[in-house]
Amino acid sequence: MKYLMIPEGIIDEKIIPVTVVFLDKADIEAAGISQDEAIRRVGAEFTGPVAINVFDREAVTTTSDGVMVEGAIVRMGAADGGIVNKEFGILPMAEIPYSEERIAAEPHLLQWKKLFPGRKLFRGPNPADKLIPVHNVVISGRASNNNSATEMMNILTMEELIFPILGQLECINDGDVLVGYTGEHISVGIGMTVAEQFGRVFPHPQFHAGSTAHGSGPYAKTLKQTIPCIVCDKKVIAARTIRALQCGCVPARELGCSPVVLSVARALGSEIAYDRIQPTAQLELDSVGCTREWMMEKLNLTTEEIIARADELLPGVNDAKKHKASELVQVRELNI
Amino acid sequence: MKLMHTKLPEFIRKMQQAVGLAKPEKTIQIRGLENLHSAKLQSLRTGRIEEAVAEIAGREDVEHVELVVVPRVPETMHTVLVKGKNADGETTKIILEVINIIHPTEEVEFDGCRDIDDRRPKLGLH
Repeated sequence: MKYLMIPEGIIDEKIIPVTVVFLDKADIEAAGISQDEAIRRVGAEFTGPVAINVFDREAVTTTSDGVMVEGAIVRMGAADGGIVNKEFGILPMAEIPYSEERIAAEPHLLQWKKLFPGRKLFRGPNPADKLIPVHNVVISGRASNNNSATEMMNILTMEELIFPILGQLECINDGDVLVGYTGEHISVGIGMTVAEQFGRVFPHPQFHAGSTAHGSGPYAKTLKQTIPCIVCDKKVIAARTIRALQCGCVPARELGCSPVVLSVARALGSEIAYDRIQPTAQLELDSVGCTREWMMEKLNLTTEEIIARADELLPGVNDAKKHKASELVQVRELNI
Repeated sequence: MKLMHTKLPEFIRKMQQAVGLAKPEKTIQIRGLENLHSAKLQSLRTGRIEEAVAEIAGREDVEHVELVVVPRVPETMHTVLVKGKNADGETTKIILEVINIIHPTEEVEFDGCRDIDDRRPKLGLH
């Protein structure tokens, strides 16, 4: 069975605190084993802490700010010392059944209806699948795979990696990624969520578009600032966000009002629901320069111009260096 | 019902005694309770742990026992009290907040040992 991995260690002087493994649901099925067994077998290959994510390339998911993308994590695992903790080491993500009621309750899923009809949707786990209420996290020994497998930590060294879904998808699709420090804009943006049932961060609809999950004013920009991250090339997030905007989604109405989403809407000259941005969210946005006045400066660029100038137009990631995913990702084979 | 929970100092004394009974020269180190100053511990389990300590201490290949207490649920939720006090030491304002703390699971204490006898009841039956 083939699997992909980024080893624990250092990339561009940034600490990668755990080994990250990507498994493909189709490869697991071809090997004739269960996803749980695949996670345990791969975990046993390593002596150090490992985060293990099983992908379904045919499914779709959402970013925390509500942009829909192709490829979803369907199960997450953590291993350490070759062992997957039997109580807290594996969690499946919940499949979200399609319904008009779900689209009405989560209006960013307009993208699902228009762009991805018939495709399965996964975000975070169903709390009923947990033995006891914990965050959307799996833990084995030192290894913690958190926020539905997008933040990985070594709990003993306390080092952490922010690895958003788009960065992971670039790794499995042999695209381009940025390795850097998370910085202030992404720190603020992580809190600008959409409300979802079985969401990546929150199990139940909680923080709607236009609000902030952080609610910590000027401190929001510092929350993840110095943590290493692996994220997608800005061209990729620009293209995905443009697609969501052109689908009819509006920042602070259907989409979260993260600095990236706002930057793309501003560059495109598309609508921003200014009045729906809550004062607590605006306070955090102001702290990184995304003021109401800044948002109102429409650039009216074409989609091609935005994608071509994404590095300049989209904020986020400090000390970033661009890599071909193949420079970071190793392909391994496991005998089943 | 007063016997249903054991006082913290008594728990520690019982574990030390359990080792001493096996062989007086054997030693025990207890870790993971340092932050507790006042606590009641489940009596039923105290007895079972005493038995486990005595069993481990009684082994010929054991000279020293470590008793390590770690959170079984690796994310614990805590209430945080932010208290403001005046010059006289009186509390004038309190903000309650919450913080979740992530802990490593038991595997970090396995030391490469594979002879592990898991006697814990399943979560929910504990």
